[in-house]
Amino acid sequence: MRYLLFFAILVAAAPGLAAQDPRLEARLDPTTRAVVAALVDSARAEGLPTEPIVDKALEGTTKRASSDRIVAALRTLSTDLRLARGALGRTAPDGDVIAGASAIRAGASPETLERINGVRGKAGISVPLAVFADLVARGVPADTASTVILHLAEGGASDADYAGLERSVTRDIGAGAPPGASAAIRARVTTGDVGAATQGGPPPGVPVSPKDPKGKPSNRP
Amino acid sequence: MHDDDQHDELITRIADELRTPVALDPGFDARVMAQVRRSARARWRLALRWWTEPRPLRVSPLGGLACAAGVAALFVVGLVSLRPASPSPIHEAVTPGKVIAAEPGTEMVQFVLVAPQASTVSVVGDFNDWDPSRTPLQAEAAGGVWSVNVPLRSGQHQYAFVVNGKEWRPDPTAPRAVTDDFGSPNSVIVVGSKST
Amino acid sequence: MTDRSDPALIRQVLDGNPDAYGALVARYRERYSRFAVHMLGEREDAEEALQDAFLRAYRSLAQCADPARFDAWLFRILANRCRTAGARRARRARTFVRDEVALGEASAEHPAERREWREEIHRALGRLEPDQREAFLLKHVEDLSYEEMSTLTGAGISALKMRVKRACERLRVMLGEVQHA
Repeated sequence: MRYLLFFAILVAAAPGLAAQDPRLEARLDPTTRAVVAALVDSARAEGLPTEPIVDKALEGTTKRASSDRIVAALRTLSTDLRLARGALGRTAPDGDVIAGASAIRAGASPETLERINGVRGKAGISVPLAVFADLVARGVPADTASTVILHLAEGGASDADYAGLERSVTRDIGAGAPPGASAAIRARVTTGDVGAATQGGPPPGVPVSPKDPKGKPSNRP
Repeated sequence: MHDDDQHDELITRIADELRTPVALDPGFDARVMAQVRRSARARWRLALRWWTEPRPLRVSPLGGLACAAGVAALFVVGLVSLRPASPSPIHEAVTPGKVIAAEPGTEMVQFVLVAPQASTVSVVGDFNDWDPSRTPLQAEAAGGVWSVNVPLRSGQHQYAFVVNGKEWRPDPTAPRAVTDDFGSPNSVIVVGSKST
Repeated sequence: MTDRSDPALIRQVLDGNPDAYGALVARYRERYSRFAVHMLGEREDAEEALQDAFLRAYRSLAQCADPARFDAWLFRILANRCRTAGARRARRARTFVRDEVALGEASAEHPAERREWREEIHRALGRLEPDQREAFLLKHVEDLSYEEMSTLTGAGISALKMRVKRACERLRVMLGEVQHA
């Protein structure tokens, strides 16, 4: 009798695990659904945002991808989310973690994320990451784009500065400039850092730009 | 705000009623674009004809030389003026206007696809669960210009069009996502938070 | 941010891609169809005027001085088209009855008929002077400032204010009665 009761409870609980999201239930086959649900559950347990994982699974079904391919993509995404969470901290909002994961996927390093987050503090990371995504989508190599957004952050650039840089680069590319070169040059122009090398920060001996971010509070715990 | 003495309830009611968008004939876009394309072709034909039609010219040898130099100069000037005008300052992703209000934190984005051969077009993306049945575009079926307005949260979004229920088509006017998990490329749109 | 702005689309068109103009047509057709329909009172006439405006704008796109303000430039072209079309139609047929006395008579002819609110508004609009109708629509429906209206129509701000005031007074008279009927 007790054995039957236990079994009944187990059966009742199982759908709760596998079908928490009705969208998955409607559009995935049972096997894939089970694996996806498990990935979603463990992400949730780690404090990672789960919506991007569900979204990626739905993208895969619309594109008629195989179950294996969907699961592989979700695993990659989970890893990126984990890295982003690690770089940005436990208290970082989900939106930032999601943007961070996209940036990592597009080629930014977790270290870059961490550095920008540390410098930007309360100003937040969403604008630099949005600009990063845009630059990379337009053909700026990922490492150049990373250097650019970090350079701006360390130079104390405002959100408007970031938007201005993105506009300038877009315009340059439209006029035929190589994306990477344009981004690098515009970054230097934005921070007033004319003598800086294309890669990395200002060479030794060049004074730090007037908008020194030292003293900005960090939101890291 | 209306600071004149006309601001009263009746006027407000009238204005509200008149503010309702007016549906146009579905063939409207197609008719305009057909004329636009005719116009574009006509311009080329005209330019071509000017260059290719023989014209009798009677000039002295010296005059002929001066003429040739002048024509060469004009040709150069013409080429220079054919290049696009220097672009004006670009403003951020623009909302389609005051027709529809978006919730705070979102922006109205218009998706457009020119697809004269399509019978259905929808947009799929991370804002609608990649569901082809959720967000159809509208246009004249025989015509060409399909569009829909969608409120999107700030940030990066990936999307693409699905034509006739099965053909995957990224947006020809938008950048491509650099990574592609499933063998069908997505387009990227980054919706900015408006600078206040 | 991905650039879907008017200047970007205009640049594509000028670079030799006329299809990009379709995005501009789709972007503005609804907002401006509304104005054209209310100005001219008939959808077919409005569509013709709007089509005409889009085509003219396309043909002179290179002369658009400020692509970031394409919307205002296009609107000005449309307002002109509507004025021309309205004048042409006034010569063709007496569609709009402007006389307030005639309005009273028309109401008496159909005392028992309850018209839709919208139809009444359109009739009332049709009875305004074109300048007043235009000013009323720009101010109260399209929500333009007087400065923007002045740039668009070429009229002075005080003249525009007077037109709006008169339009509102007349609309109140015509539609206030219907309200209480």
